[in-house]
Amino acid sequence: MKEKLVTLEEALAPIASGSTLALGGSLLRRQPNAAIRSLIRRGVKDLTVQSWAATTATDMLAAAGAISRFEGIYTGMFSYGLAPNFRRAVEGGAIAVRDFSETAMVARFRAATQGLAFLPIKTLLGSDIARHNPEQIRPFSCPFTGEPLQAVAAAKADFTIIHGYVGDKYGNVQWPIVRDSDDIDQMIASAATRLIVTVEKIVPHEEIKRRPTLTYIPGNWVEAIVELPYGAHPAACDGHYDEDDAHLTGYLERSRTPEGAQAYLDEYARSVPDHDAYVAKVGGLAALEALDVPNREQTHA
Amino acid sequence: MSPTTNEIVTAAIAREIRDGDLAFVGVGTNGRAFTLAVGIPLTAVRLAQMLHAPSASVYWGNLLEPDLSSMPADLKQDSFTRWQAAACPSDTGVKCDMLARRAFDVCFDSAAQIDRFGNLNITAIGDYRDPKVRLVGCLAQPEHFAFVPRPIVVVDLDRRVFVEAVDFITSVGHLRGGRSREEAGLSPGGPQLVVTDKAIFDFEPGSRQMRLRSLHPGVRAEEVFDLMSFRPALPEQLPATPLPSTQELDLIRRVIDPNRVLLRI
Repeated sequence: MKEKLVTLEEALAPIASGSTLALGGSLLRRQPNAAIRSLIRRGVKDLTVQSWAATTATDMLAAAGAISRFEGIYTGMFSYGLAPNFRRAVEGGAIAVRDFSETAMVARFRAATQGLAFLPIKTLLGSDIARHNPEQIRPFSCPFTGEPLQAVAAAKADFTIIHGYVGDKYGNVQWPIVRDSDDIDQMIASAATRLIVTVEKIVPHEEIKRRPTLTYIPGNWVEAIVELPYGAHPAACDGHYDEDDAHLTGYLERSRTPEGAQAYLDEYARSVPDHDAYVAKVGGLAALEALDVPNREQTHA
Repeated sequence: MSPTTNEIVTAAIAREIRDGDLAFVGVGTNGRAFTLAVGIPLTAVRLAQMLHAPSASVYWGNLLEPDLSSMPADLKQDSFTRWQAAACPSDTGVKCDMLARRAFDVCFDSAAQIDRFGNLNITAIGDYRDPKVRLVGCLAQPEHFAFVPRPIVVVDLDRRVFVEAVDFITSVGHLRGGRSREEAGLSPGGPQLVVTDKAIFDFEPGSRQMRLRSLHPGVRAEEVFDLMSFRPALPEQLPATPLPSTQELDLIRRVIDPNRVLLRI
């Protein structure tokens, strides 16, 4: 097995402006926020972002003016309302959106996983989602029954970034026993061309290989793995820590104006050299440990 | 204490749930939107379970058959993570597949706009390519109307919400009325009920336009029309929405939602 443990900056170095980037996470769970702050720090722009239920990572990228196109099922802030920076960028014409429903986005990632150009769905017949996107959603007839179907184009990304729970230095990433599985991270990972994974903790390979059924991202798929405790902050990592309500509230408060959002990014992304400095900026590990969930250690095998 | 509007609506929805139904409930947002999308549906299905539909169940988030006798006490992530359920499949693709093969009986939806033919918009207000307001996108709401036989829309009556034609069709309801939904290739179905804070609507067979079904106690028809941008069809007789029974009220208040988490706002 090849060792793939690197620094965040090394892992993200190949990602250039103009790339298509698939992001893992769903709602306020496991958004790859530390990686996104690093891309913002480096000034990467003109990204096409593909996502499941997007929140903080996509909204911060939108605030940084780094997204030119978004393809996904949702962008908002879950229980905190709409995503202010994403909304402003779409309404201002900076981001072109192509909406996909859940079965459509699942079909797109599965198609990429299987090396196919498309998979069929029949969800969006009559919907304006299809009417506005003839480039990626096309009608055809079932060759067996003749019924109307829609081909949805494979979600092929140049790079995929996922924030996971724990992994080893070879890139094997494991689920905890109890988790919130309302996401498609494994599917997004399986569709990846170049997969970068950040995890809460690097554990010995001996721990991983004892229960290989918990490995949802095999190291075989992974280009680089990075250890980033609290790497989803201010979002949650289920089984590890909850969302940071005070930080999210502050983020939304400052994001009411473009200037406020820029000041936020200056403070938490652009002026900090790396994730360790970010952790120090938000009060250090002691402050973040206050977000830890009870029985955190028992969630892993 | 007389029943609140939320309690009237919850009891009315509970009576629509049949034994054995599998109901899709969304994860919702906050405030009133949470009550509409999550609070009322979960309370209604639990009430139905306790009264006439013991084997009715819910798919919530990615929890299949979560224990509705012990709902999360707050909305923090860990409370969702630890909510006990019969199954927590490995990813949400499982739920998408179940939607597409019509494994659900009922679903609950809310929306920023709904029109005369029950089409929903949760994507954008104004021109899609140059929107006045960008909303959240679409989630699985297109799937609900495409594949679930009995969708129930839960939304407050408001002129900006009840519009002649939605700005963007996220979910295809009865499309342009008549047989236009079937002609677009969709299965029979579409929204069955629209439950609001003032009245309940269904859809007229044939024309498929929204039709007033009942008025909540004390609400006048004119009041309802004033809160809509189009005139709904009218039935031959316009009854009042039945009040919850003493037993229903007691279960909602003392057993299902004693801390008023679900029906707070």
